[in-house]
Amino acid sequence: MGAAITTTNLTKTYTLRGNRRVNVVQDLNLEVEEGEIFGFLGPNGAGKTTTIKMLLNIIEATSGVATIFGHDVDDMTVHRIISYLPEKPYYYEHMTGQEILRFYASLFGIKDEAKCNALLEKVNLYNDRTKPISQYSKGMQQRIGLAQSLLNDPKLLFLDEPTGGLDPIAHIEIRDLILQFRDEGKTVFISSHELSDIERICDRVAIIVKGKIARQGKLEDLLAGGRIEITAENVPDSISQNLKAKLTDGIVSTSHNRLIVDLPDSHTPNEVLDALRGSDAQILSVIPRRKRLEDLFLETVQEDTTAPEAKA
Amino acid sequence: MKVILSIAKTTFAEAIRRKVLFIIFLIGLTFVGIAPGLSVLSARQERTVLVGFTLGIIQLTSALIAIVLTVYLIPNEIERRTIYTILSKPVRRVQFFVGKYLGAVAALGMMMAAMTALLILVFAWQQRETSIAQLAPLAKAPVLYFIQMSLLAAVAMCFSAMVQPIVNFFLSGGVYLVGTLFGTVFQTLQENQGTHPATKAFATFVMSILPNFNRFNVQNPIINPNAQIGNEAAYYLSSTAYGLAYIAVLLIIGMIAFDRREF
Repeated sequence: MGAAITTTNLTKTYTLRGNRRVNVVQDLNLEVEEGEIFGFLGPNGAGKTTTIKMLLNIIEATSGVATIFGHDVDDMTVHRIISYLPEKPYYYEHMTGQEILRFYASLFGIKDEAKCNALLEKVNLYNDRTKPISQYSKGMQQRIGLAQSLLNDPKLLFLDEPTGGLDPIAHIEIRDLILQFRDEGKTVFISSHELSDIERICDRVAIIVKGKIARQGKLEDLLAGGRIEITAENVPDSISQNLKAKLTDGIVSTSHNRLIVDLPDSHTPNEVLDALRGSDAQILSVIPRRKRLEDLFLETVQEDTTAPEAKA
Repeated sequence: MKVILSIAKTTFAEAIRRKVLFIIFLIGLTFVGIAPGLSVLSARQERTVLVGFTLGIIQLTSALIAIVLTVYLIPNEIERRTIYTILSKPVRRVQFFVGKYLGAVAALGMMMAAMTALLILVFAWQQRETSIAQLAPLAKAPVLYFIQMSLLAAVAMCFSAMVQPIVNFFLSGGVYLVGTLFGTVFQTLQENQGTHPATKAFATFVMSILPNFNRFNVQNPIINPNAQIGNEAAYYLSSTAYGLAYIAVLLIIGMIAFDRREF
């Protein structure tokens, strides 16, 4: 599999009043593999949408290079194999779902009515196809948005907050559709604040903070380093002292007659459990605490805000 | 071309559904419809006044429609993000821009045609006139008005790639006013021997930049005394060519600005 998206030192600088220059995106180096679901995360104003707009050639990069399937983003042939679903999309309200699809199909020169109907069925809107968009719920509008983004059978989809503001049912429907895209071999580039969704469906992620990539990699690698928490009570002091001395990579603390041992998941808990079982202690719980994307995200953003440069 | 037509078709469908335009259009239609009741003149004067007044109504209504319709065309697409889904498809900005303009002009043309049709009906009813030969000439002036309003729409379209809608409204309205009312004044300044050379140069400069909207007002010799039409067909053709040339230049400037615009 080759690269679907590659960016090299992609930078977008805006000049504000007083000739002040702001780097909204700075030296961005991304590589998205073909066929993967890639999560693009970052706090508000981090440069996510600006990056997507540069990749779609809606705005021009100040410097750097971006290619899609090896072609420059300003190559019109690229636009035949990609699609985009913007955040909170709006469609011409006077049109029906069917007319919207016909309109977008016409932009590709597609006149295949059967294809439009098949897509309406795929997003579960076939029965509502003759209703005007103004009567569509938010979830239905998002689904018609996904349908229009599939008209050209794209190899790469850009989805900006695809589940934002949806009710739980619509949310699950959209998430399942995105998973279907992967099964169909499509590459999906998602920008989202829904970290639980990203964690569930993405293969790799990048976290952008203040226009720069702060973390990038496979989710399993980025989320490695979970912890195990063992709680026991009535632990004899000798055992507690012994564990404190032995477990140099863990944290052993006592509170309200309870011993809490916090170990990295690379460390087997058997040693602690055996020591506790050999005494009068009662083991209350053994909880594996897997590192979540939310933890990684917060950690990354906080690292950046407490960095000396940020403080300055 | 198909892409341009698709965008034009959608723009047209959206334009004719815009409430504010529909209200302006209805007001125009109402005035055209009640025009006979406003005249208290003799039969012969009535005929001239009725036509002049009604054509004036059509012109004013069309100018308002042209500006209000066009100033929001691009900003609305950006605000509602529809432009992103369209430009992410194999659609060039130039195609989008031209498609929007053509859709707007088509909507404008339809509304003008409806007002002209009503003018002819009202005239036929009031004058008890049924001869096609007598009624058909009434449609001549609106043909040039349509070119005039298409030019005004091109002015607004050009500005819409550069400024906010409210600024564009006054800017386009200003260009139309200056190009219509003050064209004669500037021309007089230019031709008057006693005029200061600096004023003359300024008048020449303004006249050479702004489109002369008076060129399309053939029905009113008071407003347009220089329009001595020897060969009517030639005049119509040259005025149309003048309008189309200006429209092309304005659209090219607008397209260049829109192509560089970031949103």
